[in-house]
Amino acid sequence: MATLLVFAVVAIALVFDFVNGFHDAANSIATVVATRVLKPWQAVLWAAFWNFIAFAVLPMKVANEIAKIVDSNVVSVGLIFAGLMGAVFWNVLTAYLGLPSSSSHALIGGVVGAGIAKSGGHVVDLDMLRKTTAFIFYSPLMGLALAFILIIAVMWIVHRARNRRRVNRTFRTLQLVSAAAFSLGHGANDAQKTMGIIALLLVGANRLDANALHQADGIPLWVVLSCHGAIALGTMLGGWRIVRTMGTKLTRLQPMGGVCAESAAAATLFFASYNGIPVSTTHTITGAIVGVGSAERMSAVRWNVARRVVWAWVLTIPGAAGVAMLTYWLVAMLR
Amino acid sequence: MNIDRRAVFFLMSGGLSLLLLALCPPDLRWVGWVLAIVFVILALGSWIDHVQRRDRRRRRP
Repeated sequence: MATLLVFAVVAIALVFDFVNGFHDAANSIATVVATRVLKPWQAVLWAAFWNFIAFAVLPMKVANEIAKIVDSNVVSVGLIFAGLMGAVFWNVLTAYLGLPSSSSHALIGGVVGAGIAKSGGHVVDLDMLRKTTAFIFYSPLMGLALAFILIIAVMWIVHRARNRRRVNRTFRTLQLVSAAAFSLGHGANDAQKTMGIIALLLVGANRLDANALHQADGIPLWVVLSCHGAIALGTMLGGWRIVRTMGTKLTRLQPMGGVCAESAAAATLFFASYNGIPVSTTHTITGAIVGVGSAERMSAVRWNVARRVVWAWVLTIPGAAGVAMLTYWLVAMLR
Repeated sequence: MNIDRRAVFFLMSGGLSLLLLALCPPDLRWVGWVLAIVFVILALGSWIDHVQRRDRRRRRP
């Protein structure tokens, strides 16, 4: 019975990862689709491939960090179930509203909320939570600054080019590279969050040694492959409502802007993955798109859309934590 | 008065980077400092660009 429960919660975690791909990974291809470099079906296949192979390229630090967010001694199957439910509910709500909130932060909020409901605030790794909260804002700011500097540099380099069509063609090709880099960063950072949660669950269910959470290659390979597979599959099925919001509603992008936004966001994600910081791909690409748009003119950015996006970011961790707390208490009552 | 909204936005972003230092672990504080400095430089650059454009517009007959 216990094994069956663990299996069921792992399955829910993988479904969450799949939904993360559906909800978040669409951002990897938003600019490629918006600038018509690739057709939507080509773009999702391209992004899914790079999502999947991320585990072979970037380190597993984010998974290790996520697995430490709640004290592994208090983790139970019910706690992880409640955490996942909080995150799933929040994702469904924001997807329905067409808001690009972060699945990653919903997951963190959910597990933290369930941990607090079970044993109180002292089981939460506050340093980790503070770091995550700081990078909710730092990651889009990094994307914004990098994208702005990049687009200004590129505009300065190409402004004397006589053949505009050729410049455009070059950037359309380059966008394939930048989209791949961004998808790689996305696969590494986002799939690892679910990996961390599954590893935590396995420790809580005595299926994995707690020391494995501190080792670079401590997470079982089947967890690594299934998480990357689930996110890639989610990416393939896409979340078109959010593609529209990110690619066309915030600001209109040309291929040159698309390359700069994706490159800046990819660089930010690589930095975060190497430092074990769980960041949101949604936040990062939003900041980068705003950076490119504001290089043109401030009115190119639709600030009312940007404001809604920021509110969704701020509310995600407490919102998901609240739902997870209620779910945990409900599960405890039904036992 | 004609204010450069982009420079103000960059300054606010720099200010936010500094405020977030309180949440950052010591080994990553440099990120906040670097971002704050970069945003101040961007604000300055944006403001210079804004003033130059305004002067050019004024000089036009």
